[in-house]
Amino acid sequence: MTPSTDRKRFTVPIGPQHPALKEPGHFAFDVDGEIVQSASVRLGYAHRGIEKATESRTWVQNLYLLERICGICSHIHATAYCLGVEKLAEVEVPPRAQAIRSLVAELERIHSHLLWLGVAAHEAGFDTLFMYSWRDRETVMDILEALTGNRVHYSANVLGGVKYDVDDKQAATIREGLDFLEERTLHYLEVVTTDGLFLQRTRGIGVMNRDEAEQSGVIGPTGRASGVHRDVRIDSPYTAYAEHPILPVYESTGDLLARFIVRLREQLASFEYIRMLLDHLPNSPLTTRMPRRVKEGEAISRVEAPRGELFYFIKSNGGDMPERIHVRTPTLCNIASVAQLVIGQHLADVPMILVGIDPCFSCNDRTSVISQDGQRDLWTWDRLRQYGINHYGTHYSKDIHR
Amino acid sequence: MTELLQVLVTMLFFPAGLFLLANAMFYQWIDRKLVARLQDRVGPPWYQPLADTVKLLANEEVLPFGVNKWLFIGLPIIGLAGALTTALYLPIAGLPPAYGFPGDLIVTVYMLSMLTLCLGLAGANTRDRFSMVGATRTLTQLFSYEAPFLLALLGPALAAGSWQLSDIMAYASGNWLLLTQPIGFVVVIIGLMGKLEITPFDAPEAETEIVAGALTEYSGRGLALFRLGQWVELVIGLTMIAAFYLGGIHNPLDYVIKTLFPLLIIAGLQTLMTRLRIDQTVGMWWRYGALLALVQWLLIFLMGGGQ
Repeated sequence: MTPSTDRKRFTVPIGPQHPALKEPGHFAFDVDGEIVQSASVRLGYAHRGIEKATESRTWVQNLYLLERICGICSHIHATAYCLGVEKLAEVEVPPRAQAIRSLVAELERIHSHLLWLGVAAHEAGFDTLFMYSWRDRETVMDILEALTGNRVHYSANVLGGVKYDVDDKQAATIREGLDFLEERTLHYLEVVTTDGLFLQRTRGIGVMNRDEAEQSGVIGPTGRASGVHRDVRIDSPYTAYAEHPILPVYESTGDLLARFIVRLREQLASFEYIRMLLDHLPNSPLTTRMPRRVKEGEAISRVEAPRGELFYFIKSNGGDMPERIHVRTPTLCNIASVAQLVIGQHLADVPMILVGIDPCFSCNDRTSVISQDGQRDLWTWDRLRQYGINHYGTHYSKDIHR
Repeated sequence: MTELLQVLVTMLFFPAGLFLLANAMFYQWIDRKLVARLQDRVGPPWYQPLADTVKLLANEEVLPFGVNKWLFIGLPIIGLAGALTTALYLPIAGLPPAYGFPGDLIVTVYMLSMLTLCLGLAGANTRDRFSMVGATRTLTQLFSYEAPFLLALLGPALAAGSWQLSDIMAYASGNWLLLTQPIGFVVVIIGLMGKLEITPFDAPEAETEIVAGALTEYSGRGLALFRLGQWVELVIGLTMIAAFYLGGIHNPLDYVIKTLFPLLIIAGLQTLMTRLRIDQTVGMWWRYGALLALVQWLLIFLMGGGQ
């Protein structure tokens, strides 16, 4: 180990193992004192090969596999998949099932945003807010458990409908829980907008204006905090959102504070929406008949996950297994913006800016090869293996000698 | 012979040795438990700090590549020794101090800073990047809180007209300086929080940015000693606050009550606040902390406290 000759470069690595990130991702920040000069992002530590695995499972089995892409927004993955497959199979899902899908999706959004609030507060060193928001998150987890029997992978969807109904007693439980959560969310909104010390860490930090946000293709609450009016629930309504539109939430300042406010206000919108859905649950069966083989064709389905637009491409060759499924999770669109946002910021603000986009790494890792000349390119197992050896070999030897 | 025995007991058992360590672990537990309860958590059982220490002492101490071995091993010992030594001049557990000489207030304050200095050096000694950033922050923070902290501690000294701890305590036991020097009290409490690197002044060991700061490369015994040193500092700081500002310490019960009161304040503040960035910490101390301490001095002079 020889001392670095380039004295100006002092790189602070965050990840793949680092207390700021609970999932593996690597960020290298070159700092001058406390100020970040440049940043690079590296992904791919948690590639699980799920897309490939779907090709050897039936349509029904894939539902359970795809739900496990993300441990936080599991329901929305299953919903996106179901919507796509149902479109291909030309199956009409009963309205009550659509409403329940939306209901669970909004409950999931609440739990995801509360989780994010805690994580973001922890990154800022505000552990009290972290503990309180995660305590309150238990309420929505309990509701989800009462509704579906599971806290995380609710498995509420089936192809052609949903598994679980909402009866009056459950509706009452949900309303009761929502009242409590609404009170708490309003309190947290007050805390993040009025607490002087916390504002010092959020106001004017990591500012991304609307043009920059549009350019870097930022989506979801991160984009909406910068005034990007993009929300799949409104732009291209699915399930119950077509009949009952949800109130959109936008902010324009684009700093960390705006990202807090957008997510908290989205929770408030979700509370209202769930109450409205419970009042207007249509009467219909929960499922419809679904063929075992899905007609040949391609479908695209887009839904609004808690972190932004979730995109599914599904191709069927007419058999009982898909030909190809491609998933693009919202983190992939947002993560590149971190590398731009942190430049010129303090090292201390880096974890908050990073968490500000609500990254979810494991959902994110995908291998795509795009050949520009339109030629088909076949990667054999041996070629992949050799590629891995070369790739990691050079990386590791560089790390050791630095 | 009996004199030697007395010295040994003073050094190893009371007040500087085992008693202080036990006291430090107990107060550390109270702090953690209070913060936990305020954050609606259960908190650790009473023996947790002891269990942590025993576990760390039993662990292997990894000597990282590229460090100066003697510094790496010696710094935690010096730091802890510095913190323990201060107990000799303080009325630990409400009993009169073991030793004293004119000017021991300054020695005590600088013995306390030794731990921070050792921490900074320990961080700079390793090649780890998190340690380097942590060390820079630790030392930066030392320069920001130290002056206001010392200025505020000199307030009671000015009022008492002596720089010897026992004189100041004798003066303070008649007067509750909390009432006559409230600004100094506030600055000292916050200064102690800065010294102990607890929220909001935990930027030097901000885990979400720089893992464990200067201590990132430490494991086993070194880590245990540094931790113990910080816990001892908590007790010493609380004792000084109680002795100076809360009407002096007269007996063990008095000691417990009067040191737990500032600990309660510290735990409360710790719960309420967000971590400050290091530049915000420095700005706050020099813009407000030092100014407040000087205002307190001015008030002492105006009220004729300076004899």
